[in-house]
Amino acid sequence: MTVKELQSKLNLNALNAVSDTEVDGAFISDMVSDVMAGAKAGNVWVTVQTHKNVVAAANLVDAPAVIVVRGKKVPEDTVQMADKVGVTLFATDLDTFQIAVKLFEAGVRPTT
Amino acid sequence: MVRDTCRHLWNKTNLRDGFIVTENCYHCNKSRVYFSYEDAPPKDEYKEGEHYFNYAGSAQSMKFDLECEECKAVVTFEEMMGLMQCAGCDQSCHLNILSKICEGQNIWVYAALAYNAGEEIDLSVDKLDVLTSHYTSRLRTPGKKILVVPGSLRKNPATCRGEMLRDVGMLSLTPET
Repeated sequence: MTVKELQSKLNLNALNAVSDTEVDGAFISDMVSDVMAGAKAGNVWVTVQTHKNVVAAANLVDAPAVIVVRGKKVPEDTVQMADKVGVTLFATDLDTFQIAVKLFEAGVRPTT
Repeated sequence: MVRDTCRHLWNKTNLRDGFIVTENCYHCNKSRVYFSYEDAPPKDEYKEGEHYFNYAGSAQSMKFDLECEECKAVVTFEEMMGLMQCAGCDQSCHLNILSKICEGQNIWVYAALAYNAGEEIDLSVDKLDVLTSHYTSRLRTPGKKILVVPGSLRKNPATCRGEMLRDVGMLSLTPET
């Protein structure tokens, strides 16, 4: 499934350009250090964090998209950085559990 | 340091959680940075030589070493505090210039910030090469590369607006001492 297809299936609000990159699994954490240690390339990352370090970490581990949950407002500098590195940012009012369920229903699984 | 004949596939090992702690001397404003493995960041004031160090902040982070999947060589990174991406604050900064040149080639530059006894140092070239190899080998996007460079490429660390990849503001999840 591509990031675009994921957007459509989960009805996500895109904050920048939506890529055609293939999604391979999901990683859920609110800690940048967890992501650096455990996320895999292709993972979509679910978090409440909106700081631009989220984009720097997503780029480092080659996560094609970040889903910011619980309606958190994403600062403009975070969106600009995401544009620069080609990471798609999504925002949703759903909480982490609800998004995890939707990802599971869409066939996205955690990767080990 | 490592067997040259091996093509090396580096994986993280020996992950340990802790806090990056920053302290300032309230006389001369000298700052020092270290990693604490304690359950909560130390906040005690203390005197060391002519300096009086006070707690100035902390962030949760982790340390790791890298082990080669093939030859089992281990490279330690005890001195490394984290990676930082340039924020583009100073057009004449070497890290900024290098980052901009590399962006066009889909090479993403991260500065490795390392400290010894509170003072900033550079990682050795061998270690920077191992980090570059580790992060680039995990990528899936065709043509994309990660380049890890020394922190001393920053023109002025005191005014640099780049931020280390660490978990600032997560202390509400940590019991206070």
